[in-house]
Amino acid sequence: MSSRRNGGSPAERVGASGAPGASDAAGAGGTSRARGPGRLLIAVYGVFALAATARAGFQIATKFSEAPLAYLLSAVAAVVYIVATVSLARAGTRAYAVSVVAVTTELVGVVSVGLLSVLDPQAFPSETVWSAFGRGYGFVPLVLPILGLVWLRRNRPEQRRRK
Amino acid sequence: MDPFFLVGSLVCAVSAVLCVGAALVRQPPNDITILSVAAVELFLLAYTVAAGIRQLTGEPVLGEAWEFWGYLLTALLVPVGTFWWSILERTRWSNFVLAAAGLTVFVMLFRMEQIWDGVAGL
Repeated sequence: MSSRRNGGSPAERVGASGAPGASDAAGAGGTSRARGPGRLLIAVYGVFALAATARAGFQIATKFSEAPLAYLLSAVAAVVYIVATVSLARAGTRAYAVSVVAVTTELVGVVSVGLLSVLDPQAFPSETVWSAFGRGYGFVPLVLPILGLVWLRRNRPEQRRRK
Repeated sequence: MDPFFLVGSLVCAVSAVLCVGAALVRQPPNDITILSVAAVELFLLAYTVAAGIRQLTGEPVLGEAWEFWGYLLTALLVPVGTFWWSILERTRWSNFVLAAAGLTVFVMLFRMEQIWDGVAGL
């Protein structure tokens, strides 16, 4: 486990007792996509999963009837981000396939919702993560899936076998 | 809360710049970057105490109070989470993750200020 090579004993202890998801990712034998740049990608996805889930939950709980379509889309976006975060962090070809589907869905979602919200603002009276190509979030929702697909392409399971 | 917002933005910005800089010169997480994220956490703790005192002394949140505290409690976890992750993998990429803490906390602080002032439209 090369990533812990430089870690002192406190690091080992924290790692051993930490949350299950991330330590699975880190402990997946060094072939995981959860290393290097992938780590940053997962961190950003995690932030978006959290933000989108909290926002969708808030919208649906307090004012669902105002704009059901927009708030349902918020919820869908939140689920996509959660699936992407978890599957990116996990090792294995199945997780790889799931993350490709999730990140592609995200790209399609942000582009189509972005287009619709610009062309037909009436249909999206309320902001979602993907409105106007994610403008409210500094366009990160638009850039993120592209970076994600590039990262996944460069880390195909076939390529990793040489390790 | 404006002085708090200024100080917090400054702490977050300095931390993010230091962490990105360290990552760009290919440094693994070191004392400087980790301490800068610790400073962000320290600020958030001070912010929490101050917000609690202000709430209790008759200066209520104008927006949704539970939303404000939800943001604050989540924000408190962000630096801790990135710190923990940065010691699991000691590469320069972990410095980018540490930088994400400052940026994320800044955005959350911005939202908390909006909620406190009652101008939040979610």
